[in-house]
Amino acid sequence: MKIAVCVKQVPDSETRIKLDAPSTELDQSSFTRVLNPYDAYAVEEAIKIKEAGTDVEVVAITVGPETVKETIKKDCLAVGCDKAILIDDPALQDADESALATVLTAVLQKDSYDLILFGIKAIDDDSGQVGIMVAEKLGLPHVSTITQLDLGDGTLTAHREIEGGKEVVTAPLPAVLTCQKGLNEPRLPSLPNIMKAGMKPIDKLTCADLGLEAPAAKAKIKMYYPPAARGECKLVEADDPAAAARELARLLNEEAKVI
Amino acid sequence: MPNIAVFIEQRDGNFKKVAWQMLSEAKRITAAAGGEVWGLCLGADATAEAAKYGADKVFTATGDAFNIYNSELWSTAVAQFCTGEKPDLLLIGSTAMGKDLGPKVAAKLDCACISDSVGLTYENGWTVRRPIYAGKCYIDVEPVTDMAVVGIRPNAFVLEENAGTGSAATFSPDLSGVEPKATVTNIEASAGGRVELTEAEIVVSGGRGIKGPENYALIEKLADALGAAAGASRAVVDAGWVDYSHQVGQTGKTVGPNLYIACGISGAIQHLAGMSSSKCIVAINKDANAPIFKAADYGVVADLFDVVPALTEEVIKLRG
Repeated sequence: MKIAVCVKQVPDSETRIKLDAPSTELDQSSFTRVLNPYDAYAVEEAIKIKEAGTDVEVVAITVGPETVKETIKKDCLAVGCDKAILIDDPALQDADESALATVLTAVLQKDSYDLILFGIKAIDDDSGQVGIMVAEKLGLPHVSTITQLDLGDGTLTAHREIEGGKEVVTAPLPAVLTCQKGLNEPRLPSLPNIMKAGMKPIDKLTCADLGLEAPAAKAKIKMYYPPAARGECKLVEADDPAAAARELARLLNEEAKVI
Repeated sequence: MPNIAVFIEQRDGNFKKVAWQMLSEAKRITAAAGGEVWGLCLGADATAEAAKYGADKVFTATGDAFNIYNSELWSTAVAQFCTGEKPDLLLIGSTAMGKDLGPKVAAKLDCACISDSVGLTYENGWTVRRPIYAGKCYIDVEPVTDMAVVGIRPNAFVLEENAGTGSAATFSPDLSGVEPKATVTNIEASAGGRVELTEAEIVVSGGRGIKGPENYALIEKLADALGAAAGASRAVVDAGWVDYSHQVGQTGKTVGPNLYIACGISGAIQHLAGMSSSKCIVAINKDANAPIFKAADYGVVADLFDVVPALTEEVIKLRG
């Protein structure tokens, strides 16, 4: 069995965005970059399947510059992925979700995968499109936002999170899945394994290697804005908690008109 | 003149409110720019309701394929609708179904797809505004294809009754030869039955200040009094006190309700990112220096164990 895990390096969730006024660019120079937290669930699930089975190979696939290699080594190869494929092509710098899906589809078509895993979304763009688009382009079934996975003989059963509950979904393999928090608890890499990960191969490809022209973006970012500024916090002053609660309820009802 | 199609989501014949919000906004745009607002509903007739919020024409497709959501069948039908009617934009609510359907439809149509958006402007073409980094920053995006699929965050647009023509139209997609591939075999409701976080108009969240899982009931009681959803910070979820589906923040749900009440939440940047687009934010925390107060409109510096039950009582009195 062969499993692909498509991952992305993103600024970590503690990152502060420096943007005081609307701008056509976003300064990303100071960002600390990590594996997208949702992709860690995809990696962990693949490794769990590998550990439970025999002859399972897990390949991590990513698009980005040379600098993503450290993240791939530490958070994919050191925790159990067997190899990685890095598509590093400057022509992809402004790639949108659709362009990335086209590139990943071309990579995935070069081999035969039984299972293709993604995180539900990357925490930078918050789009959650690429996995589903790849499934469509490959003509494969997909289940998005899964919180449980059971593999059968040539089939899978997954729990998919929906409003107020879950759907139980079955699909034939090969299939594409997008992984949600709750699916598993991602392991941390051990120091010896981080050292050993350096020995595992990372194949580097360009669009030309895939027989592709770099696909054009279908949507373009024109402007970045800081969030709307909030006024001063109005502190509710009262002699005791009951009075504070009464005053707060009054303010929310009469002033803010939200309850 | 822009024609805007709105996907009207239904499950078991219940329509999602975000559909009416999208119709309201589409009507505001076409009132100024011309063009028509179309509703599209698979599996139920939404014509009467959709007309109230401005739909000029409502397309209905019926058949067994639309009894329960299936990504392949539904996306094929929606893509056929778009190919046939050629709307400028297809708006789809950013719900569990919409987030699954939108990218699939866009891939079929090979058109732009813009997720989880909060603003639409039409002026010599479309500009779509949406948060990135869970709301630490916003972007304006322009589709470069003739048609675009745009996901719309629930509660981003104001609901407004504004009668459209509301003519009913039948739409008969050809689904012959389309394999369902992945199929839903069962739907299990979770316990509690509270309103969903991402769709709620009010959210009450608890943080580490609740001290233990047994005290989350305080948060739930206030949420119930307000008809609100119950949320939690990452600390509380990672400690195993509350199910992950309640997590608000950059690695959980992003919410933008009318009222967000943060109880015992210090206000880590990744949490603030997930709720900062809320229209009114209340912080209840005994630490006056907690960063949450910088993000809040109203603050109470006191122990949540005292204030939250008292606030619950006040809300019950107010709502009679």
